[in-house]
Amino acid sequence: MGFVSSWTREPAGLVLEAILGSLAGIALLIGFIVLRRWYRGRYFQKRNERAFILRGMWDDILTGRVPAAKWRFKPLDCEVVESILLDTIEIATPEELPKLLACLRVSGLLDMRIFEARARRGTSQRMALVALGRTRAPEAIPALAEALEADAAETRIAAVRGLGRTGLLDAAIPMLDLLVSNTLRAPEHAIKNALLNCCRPDPHLLVRYIPQSSGPARELLARVLGELATPDLGDELLVLATDRLPEVRASAARALGNAQPAFALSVLSVLAADPEWFVRLRAVVGLSNFAHPETVRPLLLALCDPNRHVRQRAAWALARREPELESIFDQVVGTRDRYALEAFVSELERSGGFEKVVQAIQDRSPAESAASILLKGLAVSRERAMSVAASGSR
Amino acid sequence: MLRFLTISNITLFVYYLLSNIVYLALLITAILKNAAHRARLASLRLEHLRTSPFTPPVTLLVPAHNEEQFIVESVHSLLAIDYPDLEVIVINDGSVDSTLEQLKHAYGLKPAKLLYIQQVPSAKIHGIYRSELQPRLIVVDKEAGGSKADAVNAGLNAATSPYVCIVDADSILERDSLLRIMAGVLNDPARVMAVGGIVRVLNGSRVVAGELKEVRLPKGALEILQVIEYLRAFLIGREAWSKFNMLPIISGAFGVFRRDLVLSIGGYRPKAVGEDFDLVVRAHRYLQETDKDYVIEFIPDPTCWTEVPADLRSLARQRARWHKGLLDTLWPNRDMIFRTRYGRVGSVILPYMWLFEFWAPIIEAVGYGTIILAAVLGMLSREFFLQFLLYGYAFATMISIGSVLLEEMTYRRYSDWREVARLLLFCLVEHFPYRQMTMIWRLQGIWQYLRGDLKWREMKRTGLSPTPSTTE
Repeated sequence: MGFVSSWTREPAGLVLEAILGSLAGIALLIGFIVLRRWYRGRYFQKRNERAFILRGMWDDILTGRVPAAKWRFKPLDCEVVESILLDTIEIATPEELPKLLACLRVSGLLDMRIFEARARRGTSQRMALVALGRTRAPEAIPALAEALEADAAETRIAAVRGLGRTGLLDAAIPMLDLLVSNTLRAPEHAIKNALLNCCRPDPHLLVRYIPQSSGPARELLARVLGELATPDLGDELLVLATDRLPEVRASAARALGNAQPAFALSVLSVLAADPEWFVRLRAVVGLSNFAHPETVRPLLLALCDPNRHVRQRAAWALARREPELESIFDQVVGTRDRYALEAFVSELERSGGFEKVVQAIQDRSPAESAASILLKGLAVSRERAMSVAASGSR
Repeated sequence: MLRFLTISNITLFVYYLLSNIVYLALLITAILKNAAHRARLASLRLEHLRTSPFTPPVTLLVPAHNEEQFIVESVHSLLAIDYPDLEVIVINDGSVDSTLEQLKHAYGLKPAKLLYIQQVPSAKIHGIYRSELQPRLIVVDKEAGGSKADAVNAGLNAATSPYVCIVDADSILERDSLLRIMAGVLNDPARVMAVGGIVRVLNGSRVVAGELKEVRLPKGALEILQVIEYLRAFLIGREAWSKFNMLPIISGAFGVFRRDLVLSIGGYRPKAVGEDFDLVVRAHRYLQETDKDYVIEFIPDPTCWTEVPADLRSLARQRARWHKGLLDTLWPNRDMIFRTRYGRVGSVILPYMWLFEFWAPIIEAVGYGTIILAAVLGMLSREFFLQFLLYGYAFATMISIGSVLLEEMTYRRYSDWREVARLLLFCLVEHFPYRQMTMIWRLQGIWQYLRGDLKWREMKRTGLSPTPSTTE
């Protein structure tokens, strides 16, 4: 009815209503801003006062000499105590943690958060999930795990992050179960970080799930394992290095480079000739972690790789082999690959090894010879090489 | 004549009503999206991104043309950004002042043989330098290409990371801004192609050694009016459009792009006047044409602080250039309009940009003329005329105050009561004569574009305060 009457009204009447509406809007907005500022100012002042008082009796709150009933049912006090507890738990040592968790349990704060995570929806549920993750309490895991299948994407993300924040191995299991069945709907980065935190104490858990997984889930698990691998994972890493998925082979190369099991060098040398460039790149990065003379040959091969990223990284690794630079330089010249030489000299310049190599060549042979070797190869550093050669001949 | 005036006034009335409905819808959408974003932030810990081995590397591209006044401070601030794997590439775009010398001196630059493959067009490179003091800093010295786009393209050719972040040399990024903006990317890295952060007004704030120490509202009226404009544009406009994946622009002062996307579309258009708008529209075009499921996002918490013009002459030039840039992008992409192939971008945002951005100063100017004429000729009741003016004023003020409200509810960068009061006061007075001046500058921009005058005119700057030390 109101709608019909507005359309039949004179334009002036409409405009007048619009003016009044806009003025009311302005008044409401300004009023809201002012009230909100005032309320927040007052709230923070009160909170600050309560935090000061509660901090004064913190030890008594922790030990229960001040019974939980005294603060638990006063919303502001409860909020302050929980916030202090969670902050302390985050930086607590394994010895301090049980006392803090006991306080959470005895006061019922943990149960309250578990209840909120299960019964509430929206912001309150997400806040509860965040708090549960921060508690690092094993009891929090089931509630967090249930939220992994929530309808709201934000809730699922909060659950993944919460599980990750617990840092408990058991917290990884619900994520891994859903991941291998391809039903975990959360950002990959959040899942990887969460698994990284949870599986750190025992990366074997990941190894158990990899055979059951396929596609992106398999790649994700291998990627996490690549960061956590330990030398005792040798055989499992060998299997991954022959996986049909290139991303998994790349992760295996990363893991081998980090964990350095006994056979790592030979496997990495094979992976450095993989058909996929990023697998070769990861293998070269892995090889660069070893100071073993056996790595020079595969790195030299990688220096002649058709992919520039692989060449650059091999050059980076070779240019940092300080005692062998002179012989490596000879071998690089021996490849007769201009791109390899260019990449190596660039890295030598960057690492500050260039002058040392030139000096070493000058010392062992006539300056003209040094200059001729350099001039043959150093198209990239022609001017510099000339000046060095010239100074050598003087 | 009388008939023309009547039709004109009715058209104006409808246009104004429509635009107000759109602005109100944008304000409401922005408030809702902002609330959702803050809910997501609640479970995010930047610390996890910082320490995660899975956080991808990013290259900061900083085009610099005659920036001797504050290039050292600016680079100092960029190098201090909190990000685990960061490369900073400064592109000295044919500066005729001492920009390069200052960088060489401050950061110990040495010539370096880095691989530079010209994948997107840019002017000739003179040399590439790497800092001895800061290994993450690379300087590309090139011939002046005549545009920021050309300089950024050179940086794209030299960059090695999968993501590039384009930053103006006269801007300051907050330390955690890159982590925050990348959090947006990492929510859905397969779909998120580009993300823009908020740009705020630096004037008046206290900056020490290229680092923002204290946020303050500028003293000058002209600068405060721009604070309101920026809040409105970013916290309402961009926030709301990105909700529907129709973000038409990511500010050239601060945005992250997938490098492969930018290379796929041929980099920045070297002769583009509004290179940032042009790039995003071309990205939408490419992604729609290749049927990609994609997101171009705006995130309101990663913050970049930039210096805005403090004098009328510089402001007039900037606004004219912005409007030229608008037309320079809308015109070549006019074929996207109302074509289903381009989805919402073609059917909503580009028509919106034509109607409510490009045509706005023309319609406004015609409107002022016809309304006054109609009032003088007695065709318009004086009472109605005044009421209409008052309505326009009240509604526009309400939208501006809405942007201050969003700022208050979310980031509260202006913590002092008096500063908020001043902001609110300026919301009440921005419609006369600032609005009319902006209209004239935008009309000048159209005129310059039509005449083929695409020159970049320098802006007068005050610069950042000097740095005590350039090493960490």
